[in-house]
Amino acid sequence: MIKIKVLSKSYNSNEVLKEINMEFSRGKVYGIVGENGAGKTTLFKCIAGLESYNGEVLSDVQPLKNYLGLLLTDPFFFSKITGKEYLRLLCNARGKRNINIDQKNIFDLPLNQYASTYSTGTKKKLAITAILLQENEYFILDEPFNGVDIQSNIVLTEIILKLKELDKIIIVSSHIFSTLSDTCDEIILLRKGEQIKSVQKVDFKTLEEEMKEITIGNRIEKLELK
Amino acid sequence: MKDYFVLQLVMNNRKTKEAGFNPVLGYLLVLIVFVLLSEYIFHKTEFAKYLVMLVCFSFQFKLSENRRTDFLLSTFGNKSKNKIRVLENSIVCIPFVSNLIHKNLFLEAVILFICSITIALFSFRTSLNFTIPTPFSKNPFEFLTGFRKTFFIFPLAYALTAIGINVDNFNLGIFSMLLISITTLSYYSKPEKEYYVWVHADTTKSFLKKKIIIATKNYILLTIPILIGLLIFYPIKFNLTLLFLFIGILFLWTIVLAKYSAYPDEIHLSEGFIIAFTILFPPLIMVVIPYFYTKSINNLKFIFNDKN
Repeated sequence: MIKIKVLSKSYNSNEVLKEINMEFSRGKVYGIVGENGAGKTTLFKCIAGLESYNGEVLSDVQPLKNYLGLLLTDPFFFSKITGKEYLRLLCNARGKRNINIDQKNIFDLPLNQYASTYSTGTKKKLAITAILLQENEYFILDEPFNGVDIQSNIVLTEIILKLKELDKIIIVSSHIFSTLSDTCDEIILLRKGEQIKSVQKVDFKTLEEEMKEITIGNRIEKLELK
Repeated sequence: MKDYFVLQLVMNNRKTKEAGFNPVLGYLLVLIVFVLLSEYIFHKTEFAKYLVMLVCFSFQFKLSENRRTDFLLSTFGNKSKNKIRVLENSIVCIPFVSNLIHKNLFLEAVILFICSITIALFSFRTSLNFTIPTPFSKNPFEFLTGFRKTFFIFPLAYALTAIGINVDNFNLGIFSMLLISITTLSYYSKPEKEYYVWVHADTTKSFLKKKIIIATKNYILLTIPILIGLLIFYPIKFNLTLLFLFIGILFLWTIVLAKYSAYPDEIHLSEGFIIAFTILFPPLIMVVIPYFYTKSINNLKFIFNDKN
């Protein structure tokens, strides 16, 4: 379980998260949606403990950060580190040694090349592989499908479902609604730092329609395309 | 084009400010260091003129980097890009050319200037794409990435030791050891992204302990060829050899702890001064290490969620 109680976050006078209350249960996948700047990444960083905040984040295993696989939107890689060494670095950090990295290279990554030379999608797949090898209890995946090819997206969807089966907690953000509706049990909508609503699987279609309506509105007409 | 150079000046001023200097003072300091260093080099070696040219070219090669010139080309077009690059290289070569003229090396000054203009019209790849093997793959990342960036230093240091032993110059061996020490200290000069500290399932203390143990092991591994050479050929001076090894290790601990005491910022000017004083008066290290350690512990508590 992860429980967020009245979490708020401000940068000077700018309040980017406003009294967020959420509860995540084991064996479930949660989607967090919202426009750019809605506060998704900040919320993830607060849960991970990478940002200070007001409020509480509780979990059934402590400290949460040691059991959390965090995939950032734009993972950073050192300039002279190979894919394999990156995986080893992240596994060592969690005390996981003697892992057969080559066998677990499910995305067929060029592990002996410098990670900084990888394409955006390949970098993301490397970062995903790393947090999977860490054998975490909780996963926060910020835009995991972005920039990744269709084949790998299919694999990633299956991985998320497998993690759910293994009783992990998975929190995913994505701008591609279909990827969330395929995997999530519940989707939480954030807008300007506020938790607008939580929607269960049966109502995903309605949520998608609502989001389309709000997002598109009359913007296309304004363009007066000819 | 004018806007481009104004922007470059603004960016340089920002960097100088971030380093803790007033920009004017910063530029003045760089100039003083440049003059003193070049005087020292010309005083010490007859190859100084080549060194001056080499340093100038190394700066210019960086400016000719592929992605950078591609950006200039796509933003300003070919003609303006060439003008910008020629002007940039001319600005860079001014102090070096002036230096050569000052030493009455007119031919070298002309060659340097012509080469600088020519280099401006080309672009280069400045990074090697093949993977350099290292003995540090099992414990990434500081020595692993640092070794790959400075790999050419190590054969040089080992060769100097061999020359030192050959001409019976013990000090040259010690100098090689110091060279490796300074090189490895540079691996800890920049802070990593917070994610790479956060990801460790450690307490603050165990994290620092791990970092220090790995740094020590790796440093000893790199100095072993020199140590063996000096211990075999200068057995009576074993205490001096081990003393320098020990000092190298202590300075490595200092820089590791200094990095985390300023984290996530770069090492501040104040920490830099403390390290500089410690170099001038090494016994200070016995106070400086515990000071940086305590500061690091307090500084990293938040990231490691340490309650103690």
